[in-house]
Amino acid sequence: MRPGSAYPKMHFLVADNPSSSSSSILAVSAPEAKELGLYVHVPFCTKRCGYCSFNTAPLTDGAMARYLEALHREIDLLGALAWAPGVRLATVFLGGGTPSLLAVDEMAAALDGIRAQFEVAPDAEITVECNPESVTREKLEGYRVAGVNRLSLGIQSLDDTILPRLGRLHDARGARSAFEAAREAGCVNLSVDLMYGLPGLDLAGWAGAVDAVLDWQPDHVSAYGLTLDAGSLWGAAGVEGIPAEQEQIDQYWRLAHAAAARGLEHYEISNYARPGCRSRHNQIYWRAAEYLAAGPGACGFVGGIRYANVRATPRYCETLAAGVLPIESSERLSSRQKLGERLILGLRTADGVPTSWLETRLDGDQRLRQRLDTWRAQALLAGTGDRIHLTEAGFLLSDALFVELL
Amino acid sequence: MALRRIRNFSIVAHIDHGKSTLADRLLALTGTMDPKKAVDQVLDSMDLERERGITIKAHTVRLLYRARDGQEYTLNLIDTPGHVDFSYEVSRALAACEGAILIVDAAQGIEAQTLANFYLASDANLTIVPVINKIDLPAADVEGTRTQITETLELDGSEALAISAKHGTGVPEVLEAIVARIPPPEGDPEAPLKALVFDSFYDSYQGVVVHVRLTDGRVRPGMRILLMSNGRSYEVQQVGVFSPDMRPVEELSAGQVGYLTASIKRVADAKVGETITETLRPTAAAFPGYRDAKPMVFAGLYSIDDTEYEALRDALEKLRLNDPAFTYEPETSLALGYGFRCGFLGMLHMEIVQERLEREFNLSLIVTAPSVQYKVLTTAGEVIDIDNPSKLPSPDRIEQMDEPYVTSSVFVPTEFMTAIYKLAQEKRGEHRSLEYHGKRVHIKFDFPLAEIVVDFYDRLKSISKGYASFDYELSEFRPSDLVKLDILLNGDPVDALSSIVHRDKAYEKGKALVEKLRKVIPRQLFEVAIQAAIGSRVIARETVKAMGKNVTAKCYGGDITRKRKLLERQKEGKKRMKQVGKVEVPQEAFLSVLKS
Repeated sequence: MRPGSAYPKMHFLVADNPSSSSSSILAVSAPEAKELGLYVHVPFCTKRCGYCSFNTAPLTDGAMARYLEALHREIDLLGALAWAPGVRLATVFLGGGTPSLLAVDEMAAALDGIRAQFEVAPDAEITVECNPESVTREKLEGYRVAGVNRLSLGIQSLDDTILPRLGRLHDARGARSAFEAAREAGCVNLSVDLMYGLPGLDLAGWAGAVDAVLDWQPDHVSAYGLTLDAGSLWGAAGVEGIPAEQEQIDQYWRLAHAAAARGLEHYEISNYARPGCRSRHNQIYWRAAEYLAAGPGACGFVGGIRYANVRATPRYCETLAAGVLPIESSERLSSRQKLGERLILGLRTADGVPTSWLETRLDGDQRLRQRLDTWRAQALLAGTGDRIHLTEAGFLLSDALFVELL
Repeated sequence: MALRRIRNFSIVAHIDHGKSTLADRLLALTGTMDPKKAVDQVLDSMDLERERGITIKAHTVRLLYRARDGQEYTLNLIDTPGHVDFSYEVSRALAACEGAILIVDAAQGIEAQTLANFYLASDANLTIVPVINKIDLPAADVEGTRTQITETLELDGSEALAISAKHGTGVPEVLEAIVARIPPPEGDPEAPLKALVFDSFYDSYQGVVVHVRLTDGRVRPGMRILLMSNGRSYEVQQVGVFSPDMRPVEELSAGQVGYLTASIKRVADAKVGETITETLRPTAAAFPGYRDAKPMVFAGLYSIDDTEYEALRDALEKLRLNDPAFTYEPETSLALGYGFRCGFLGMLHMEIVQERLEREFNLSLIVTAPSVQYKVLTTAGEVIDIDNPSKLPSPDRIEQMDEPYVTSSVFVPTEFMTAIYKLAQEKRGEHRSLEYHGKRVHIKFDFPLAEIVVDFYDRLKSISKGYASFDYELSEFRPSDLVKLDILLNGDPVDALSSIVHRDKAYEKGKALVEKLRKVIPRQLFEVAIQAAIGSRVIARETVKAMGKNVTAKCYGGDITRKRKLLERQKEGKKRMKQVGKVEVPQEAFLSVLKS
């Protein structure tokens, strides 16, 4: 018997909290698939980056311990759901924030906690996002022993004048050392995050960073064009020196061409991988498949319901201390919304979507059909038999299509 | 009820001189309205009227007043529309009265509409009671206003009542003056029924509710009545008075004002100005002055969503039940598909109809640039009326084009004269006369109607810091050198963006228009060329660059909902776009034709 999985406890949870139906939404909403992903949000950062609108919290004394205790309770509560014994986790992704702030024993305990409650597939992909300054070879070896088999390094830039402006705590040398440490620690599935369109970044600077990073031979590269989100420091206060639109477009193409020359597949708008090294966890999102969420502000999708946890870390901890799942909002998708999501997520990838999905959406919408003809005529959208996908040029304009498809 | 105890009157004024405020005071003072239920300015009952602070529909209310002579009087207040678009309605409402209270603002003095309303009231042979309002204002100049009334209106300014409708000062004297100065109605209750329709509205339960003033005879439920302009006969269902809500009475008789219902299906069947009589014993002659309200401004109305065409047609039909002054007929646009060509009394009327369609029927509309009606003599010798630029024959088939002109009055403090003349010149105005009234001047201009229907009034207000007032009436058609200005998107003409303009202004207008369109047309997958052309000659061009980058780099941590909601919000904005050829054109682009 798993600890904490006693059915009466679940019953008590619902009865104790009759008005909070969202807390028990997972109890009545079993997943459709047997294999799920699990996203775990680690909210802490030593310093917040200017461009970041993600859910982060300051790392004050004792905050990590309180968070980890809450996280364990949350995993236990999820494991106690009636359907939990019937599912298997195919991927686990620890994102942040800065998950690499977890000490080796904390990481091991977290993963043990997950394995105690859920069947984890023997070949499961277990990814941890790492900031270069927070990792050492020893730590990463410890992670590997604990079960982590994929690392995503937040390099972002190799320009030592740009990195501090972003609020990053590493420099180009530190980035390189972290990458080497990961390889030395035995990480065979190693991803690097880069950003373009950054303030002060010109095409030459970007080309240098791209070529240098590709020389390291990462298995996977994520390259995100800077967007100024309302929730970020820069989004709120503004920032100087953002390259002109055409410059950003040139930067996008510079990477796309260099990656292709090195044999990396441009398999999603912002993602490149060696064959066989695509991120399995992220593909769950893009295929509109199911995943569980843990941690403050984490989002899940189970049984046709999208839900999100409480964002503020203290309240997340308090809610779990009271023995309640910290689900703050949930929404059951209509069939139209489901189709819209499948299209806009699937079309983010080079594999695209089955043509039949698009046909369902186009049924009776002659105008949209005509507009898609324009996308095809301009080689932004391409079909290969029974699947349809955006081209690399189409990726750049994808939101203009997605807004139509919803 | 003895005729000598009845007074039928109206209140007329320039906009904002306090007509509705005084009406509310009169209602309160006579106990017609429960103060607890009072919504400010009850007479302006349509939402739109209250928002815009103007009366669109006429309203009627019966006040019972015990005068200082100890007798009780029935005072029928017939409120009139307060905008130049509706001057025919005003004239019919005045025809139902024996007297009018003419309000003049003590700080503003006589304005263009004061004068226009004064003439309408004089033409209707009404006894005019001048009232100087807003005497509480620091800028009030009561004596100066008296002098102005004497000199400009040739009324006895010393007899004008000085009041503050806002504070109630002097209002009881207004009631006394109505009784003392305005003559009671005359008429023979035993003669055949003769009643003037001065307003009507559609009620979904009772059919059309007709507002009537009886000059002779009586009307009661069960009687058969005849509408003289169209020969239709009906049986009266109900007669009543407004106090201020509808209250049935046994009968209405000569001199009285009230309403009747007779299962009339459409307001168009009982139009303003109509004469109602008895089917069995008709009166000898109808009231003079009846005419069909004539639309002056025409525009295409299209639903943004093609699937709403039927809904738009139903909505227009329903709206017309209540507003026979606006006309509509189906039209087709290459750019916009199926829609309707609608005629309006003026721009305000057009805006009201558009707003009501959008609010009350929940439609998203495109209104094309308004046009006046031109008379075109073709080389074949035919004269055709053109109210849609896209229907204009090609230049080689046009012998001559005539455009409608108006005569207009502008009242303005002398310091703004230069600015007014400049504006008039820009709008192809011709000066007619100039009269000084103290610190103000009264200038008469002739204008092409096309130049004043759109933004003239707003421009006039802004260059005169709000002091200028304006009034106009249609005068005649004159030959004019007009051309059709076309707009092309990526080489294809967009019929709904065409306009008819004077040749001398075509270049300037074309340039302004393409600039405006460049600002409102969003970037698309391809470059969009916007051109203005006369015939095959391009006179201006702008370009909307192709979209370069429109992408979300990351759906962070599987938060798909946030991304979807963001896109859904954008989609809401896109709903207000119309696809013309391959180009998506936002709703406001079509209106920019008139605002540039």
